Amino acid sequence: MIKIVKNLYDYRELIAALVWKNIVLRYKQSYLGFLWAVLKPIMLMLIFTLVRSFVGIDTGNIPYPILTFAALLPWVFFQESASEGVNSVTSNAALIKKIYFPREVFPITAMVTKIVELAISFVILTAMMIYYKMMPTVYALWVPAVIFYTMMVALGISFFGAAINVYYRDMAQALPVVLSLLMYGSPVMYPLSLVHQKLIVEQAAGHWSNNLYTLYTLNPLAGIIDSFQRVMLKGLPPDFEALYPGLVLTLVILPLSYMFFKRAENWFADVI
Amino acid sequence: MPIIEVNHVTKEYQLGHISSLKENVVNSYRRLVGKPIHKRENFKALDDISFSIEQGEVVGIIGHNGAGKSTLLKHLANISKPTKGSVIVRGSVAPLIEVGAGVNPELTGRENIYLNGAILGIPKKIIQQKMDEIIEFSELEQFIDTPVKRYSSGMTVKLGFSIATSLDADILIVDEVLAVGDLAFQRKCFDRMEDMIKRQGKTVLLVSHNIRQIQRLCNRVILLDHGRINMQGEPQAVCDSFYEQNDKKIKANIDHTKTHTIASGEVELVELYFMDHAKRKVDSLSYNENCSIHFKINVLEELEDVTFGFGFHTTDFLYLTTHNSEEQLNINRLPAGDHELVCKVKRLPLLPGIYSIRFGITAGQAARDVFYGDSLKHFQVVGDIPITIRDGFFALNAHWMEKNINITETAIISTVVV
Repeated sequence: MIKIVKNLYDYRELIAALVWKNIVLRYKQSYLGFLWAVLKPIMLMLIFTLVRSFVGIDTGNIPYPILTFAALLPWVFFQESASEGVNSVTSNAALIKKIYFPREVFPITAMVTKIVELAISFVILTAMMIYYKMMPTVYALWVPAVIFYTMMVALGISFFGAAINVYYRDMAQALPVVLSLLMYGSPVMYPLSLVHQKLIVEQAAGHWSNNLYTLYTLNPLAGIIDSFQRVMLKGLPPDFEALYPGLVLTLVILPLSYMFFKRAENWFADVI
Repeated sequence: MPIIEVNHVTKEYQLGHISSLKENVVNSYRRLVGKPIHKRENFKALDDISFSIEQGEVVGIIGHNGAGKSTLLKHLANISKPTKGSVIVRGSVAPLIEVGAGVNPELTGRENIYLNGAILGIPKKIIQQKMDEIIEFSELEQFIDTPVKRYSSGMTVKLGFSIATSLDADILIVDEVLAVGDLAFQRKCFDRMEDMIKRQGKTVLLVSHNIRQIQRLCNRVILLDHGRINMQGEPQAVCDSFYEQNDKKIKANIDHTKTHTIASGEVELVELYFMDHAKRKVDSLSYNENCSIHFKINVLEELEDVTFGFGFHTTDFLYLTTHNSEEQLNINRLPAGDHELVCKVKRLPLLPGIYSIRFGITAGQAARDVFYGDSLKHFQVVGDIPITIRDGFFALNAHWMEKNINITETAIISTVVV
């Protein structure tokens, strides 16, 4: 962890330059430019809103579109960071074969690039909040911590996946499938409160219910999305009961994933 | 303390593809039940290499293709890790392993300068300071804000070289980059390299197939062969040894493949041999001795207005001489049959070394080629050379003298002082 931070500092200019390159490249020669970055969450929000009009999802006193958009914001950030991160090493094969710098720069760069897109989504969220006349409370100060946590989760997947992907390209193929499944296992389309209601309050799965709920919250995104909605829209502090299983998992996986990456790094140039 | 230490470095690569999932499963099963596993063949790219380089040394690494030169550089640049042994580098390294590795085609020249600077670890401030200098050196002022994808390949390489050499590192690792751009730009690159070496006292590692360049720039040369250090030391000696090896290889190739010649079918070269001053058939010639070169040809169809020509060249095809028979031999008609041509050379001026010979015949009013061949025979020039002659290919019949005999050495020094 300390090493990551140190490298991040030592190579900050390189990371900045690579991030800038990624952004410039993506939107050069495209007419709509940055608008493409937010198209994905907006489209998903519209689709979910449409679906919701058939099935009916209880969202309490918060309008569904803004609730799901607030869920999509960290979700899309996580999903894109992870999948870009996994591909980041192999797509920079030319550099890896020619020049040495710590290879974790690539997954980190991929993630930082996504922060820019996240920032644009924030602008849209703000606009929606103004439209729905919602005021952020002091609890909104939690947002940076929630985003930071999301970054750690994404890096945990990126490091491991990127290293595997150098040896077996199956990783890059499998990840989108797994992630799209994970989206339905995360409170994106529906709020966490609904899961809580079913399992904890109604005990819908009998005496398995409490364990199932813990299992559900083992997915760090469950805690992240819920916390994000609470601090931004509901004016509540994060629900730590929903956060901690995922947080523990992340704290275990991230160092392992980083160590795995650093070990595999030695052979990147030979194998890639 | 040496700035670079390489201790018993061995690098093995596995031949063939990365093992598939099935192979992995089969192998782990075999390991479990204690059967021998299928191992893929290993290839030793580097085999127990040890050497050290002191600060300020300029070391050339030469060798045939696949000798392990680039692999060695990759280890020094920390891109690859050795299978066995260790590499210790004390100082910052600027790897110029293939110039323009980080050049992105979508970005403009200027953007690429920033990006590559960051990749090579140059702080942004320094890049900004050096921006004008880099652009000027690259000769791309006009195109610097155009995306690199619209550059010619020469322009891209120029840009890459300009960025890479603006780097301020202790150790420079250069892999075949001096052969970039047109001749004028190559000259500039070469000058810049020399400046870094001679004036800035940088430690440089150079890999090149251009042995002359190596010989000129380096103060030590390492000759690699199949992953081992074949020879190292003084550039002249090592390069000569490499030339000899090369020569053997070329000779062997020529024995296998005869077709180094273009012939119209009217003439065949039957034999080519040398005779020394005592009229003995010889394989090698002596420096500063008379000799003669004999060409036996078989004319199949009668030729008119024939001119012969021959020349010496180095094994890497630097043409040193040409001598044709135009004004010395007037043959209006050359009937079919065997003929022998002799060219006498007085006091052969070629310095000791390995050379090759080429020979050509033209015929007719329009001087069309009826026969031409390069590298027809490789030969060695032997002999002792006086101390006045050091490098090169030819001895010049020249003499040093001082024009004003009244000025002695001490007098010159005193005028300088005044």
